[in-house]
Amino acid sequence: MDLLNHLALGFGVALAPVNLMYALIGALLGTLIGVLPGIGPVATIAMLLPTTYALQPESALIMLAGIYYGAQYGGSTTSILINMPGETSSAVTCLDGHQMALQGQAGAALAIAALGSFFAGCVATVFVAAFSPPLSELALKFGAAEYFSLMVLGLLGAVVLAHGSLLKAIAMIVFGLLLGIVGTDVNSGVTRFAFGIPELSDGIGVVSVAMGLFGFAEIITNLEGKEKRDIVAAKVKGLWISKAQFRAAWPAVLRGTGLGSVLGLLPGGGAMLASFASYALEKKVAKDPSRFGKGAIQGVAGPESANNAGAQTSFIPLLTLGIPENAVMALMVGAMTIHNIQPGPQVMTSNPTLFWGLVASMWVGNLMLVVLNLPLIGMWIKLLQVPYRILYPAILLFCAIGVYTISNATFDVIQTAAMGFLGVVFVKLECEPAPLLLGFVLGPMMEENLRRALLLSRGDPTVFVTRPLSLVMLLMAASLLLLIVIPNIRRRRADVFAEEA
Amino acid sequence: MTAALRLLAAVAMAAAAALGAAPAAAQTYPSKPIRLVVPFPPSGATDIVARTLAQKLGDALGTSIVVDNRPGAGGTIGSDIVAKAAPDGYTLLLSTTSTHSIAPSLYAKLPYSVERDFVPVIHVADATNILVVTPSLPAANVRELIALAKAKPGALNYASSGNGTIVHLTAELFASSAGIKLTHVPYKGTALALTDLMTGQVSILFDNIVSALPHVRDGKLKALAVTSARRSPLVPEVPTVSESGLPGFVSDTYFGVFAPAATSPEVIARINAAINKVLAAPDYQERLATLGAQAAGGTPEQFAAIVRSETAKWSRVVKESGASAE
Repeated sequence: MDLLNHLALGFGVALAPVNLMYALIGALLGTLIGVLPGIGPVATIAMLLPTTYALQPESALIMLAGIYYGAQYGGSTTSILINMPGETSSAVTCLDGHQMALQGQAGAALAIAALGSFFAGCVATVFVAAFSPPLSELALKFGAAEYFSLMVLGLLGAVVLAHGSLLKAIAMIVFGLLLGIVGTDVNSGVTRFAFGIPELSDGIGVVSVAMGLFGFAEIITNLEGKEKRDIVAAKVKGLWISKAQFRAAWPAVLRGTGLGSVLGLLPGGGAMLASFASYALEKKVAKDPSRFGKGAIQGVAGPESANNAGAQTSFIPLLTLGIPENAVMALMVGAMTIHNIQPGPQVMTSNPTLFWGLVASMWVGNLMLVVLNLPLIGMWIKLLQVPYRILYPAILLFCAIGVYTISNATFDVIQTAAMGFLGVVFVKLECEPAPLLLGFVLGPMMEENLRRALLLSRGDPTVFVTRPLSLVMLLMAASLLLLIVIPNIRRRRADVFAEEA
Repeated sequence: MTAALRLLAAVAMAAAAALGAAPAAAQTYPSKPIRLVVPFPPSGATDIVARTLAQKLGDALGTSIVVDNRPGAGGTIGSDIVAKAAPDGYTLLLSTTSTHSIAPSLYAKLPYSVERDFVPVIHVADATNILVVTPSLPAANVRELIALAKAKPGALNYASSGNGTIVHLTAELFASSAGIKLTHVPYKGTALALTDLMTGQVSILFDNIVSALPHVRDGKLKALAVTSARRSPLVPEVPTVSESGLPGFVSDTYFGVFAPAATSPEVIARINAAINKVLAAPDYQERLATLGAQAAGGTPEQFAAIVRSETAKWSRVVKESGASAE
């Protein structure tokens, strides 16, 4: 069977000692930043991007992916123990997880979060392995017109699913698109908005944008806040779940895994959306919804499974179509480009070890996480006691060194600092930078495909509606647009996201 | 600055350097590590040529050679660093056709001048490109391709790795030599161009031989010709463009070492001799072959002549194709 051969190849790569090591580093780092409130996976991956430069591409992606799903594990720890989400995707876990901890059930909450995540991770790995080949087969039929329409759909999806103000999300995407215009135009070779600075003729670096907007900005704004992390009260003892709890939790785990796997595929989706949606679903299907918020184990099991499944399946659009659907995946594009790998359907055939190695490492990483994490919880709690004023400047310094090493250019450091400043401004204005990054990465791809489609059709714009696949995607995009405009649905959208507040 | 003034300045600078420290320094050169600037990102062809060369050259000169990647703006940023570096033989540039023969006519405002700021040291290697077409294209050789293009002017699309790249200009040179009209479809790099070529979105691509060859072997692409003067040892069965009806058509990428203009002739001679020795080694030649390149070598004067003739050739193509950026 093909799938088995592929997975065998993948495990061969993922179980190589050096890749095992990077999977472990990624998983541990991910857990670490998951535990620390304030630093998210986007910021961490952005900061570590330059260091992957010296690694083999397989090792680099395995480590970065480890950070993403590791963060889903770590985030739950902080949510449960100190009622402060380590990650946005673990925010809903606070609701019931911390209640369980207050009732002396911290161990059970942590265990179900880890086991649910592990189960979801295993299922999502199989999901990725099974669905990617047919999807990339389909993607090979895509021409420039289909890609353009798909990206229109992707950007609109990002608007619909963005949390917070709709207007701000649109503004940020447009701003990202504009930033993406800077640089040399592929078609004519003319440099745009470079203001005579040769470094800008290649465009603004994605690492600088990501590290500045997410890394620098998060750190700077975190330093503003007061340090109050001494709430760790719950003594963790007995990481065991009772039979009754297990029976109550496993349907939630199954539902969370399924929902997360599907939502991970959507543009703009991923871990965060999955966990919120799963919580809402659990509340809806529960016999007694009033127990939620008072320590219902389903409220932990569902979202924690869903966020891990979503984190993993969000790799599918990237690996098969070359299209990032959230900010973390946009950074993966950056990681691949650093290694001269153009993301797209050809990756599976031209770099099979990279593709299958990454898929297999997801399972390996999940196993590591579940084995390592539960015993290490005590250590993670200790970490929360390192003062930020020491931790953060150190991180900032390493970031600056990292940016410099990408092309040995001080210009890149200055560029990152400028982006960091911009990021702080965005935080003050309560503008989410994730849509910006998505627009920034997708914009140039979109323009390239738009113009290529028109070149190939010799200037005939009807090509977008006469090719059936392209038409279908544009119609889907149009209906998404309707969703935004119709006030009734807009209100409901607000309700869904109100949960997180 | 007028041309005459520029020349005067260059002469004055060269004279000052020659009269000054240069002769004494040449005796003891090299007395510290040498920086070899590569104006392209790591793991590209130029970088691999440089890194393998650096190791062996270090042994030959008895010092270490540090490869310094300074990518950006099509290689012009790294080239400019060397153009403005001290002409003491401790900063060298390993670059290609694109920065030293195409960029001067492509960019309106290039921060350096190839003649004024650089002195050629040695021609390291030549890389061959290969003409590949989508398998469904009804053309089995270059003659049939030209006939097909003549039957439908402008209907055939060719892909490139971007405006003004050697991939683009080679196709333009091919079209003008054959008297045909093709439509240019630029990509960022050739990875996605190759995918679109395999599925038939575009029909023609002149690509680096090593990146295209696996797909030819898989039957996903048809190889019609190589662009070098002689057939490539990697694909001896594929004819050259020149022997397929366009006599004299050659489009290779040269890799060569340059030094800042005022570097003393003694130092240049020293480096040239050492690199010639490296190039004669069979294992270095084998390494180059895996990149689809052949070792070159020779004197600085020979390399200077190659740079001049290539610059003349590409500036004509840039003008005719309208690829110039501003």
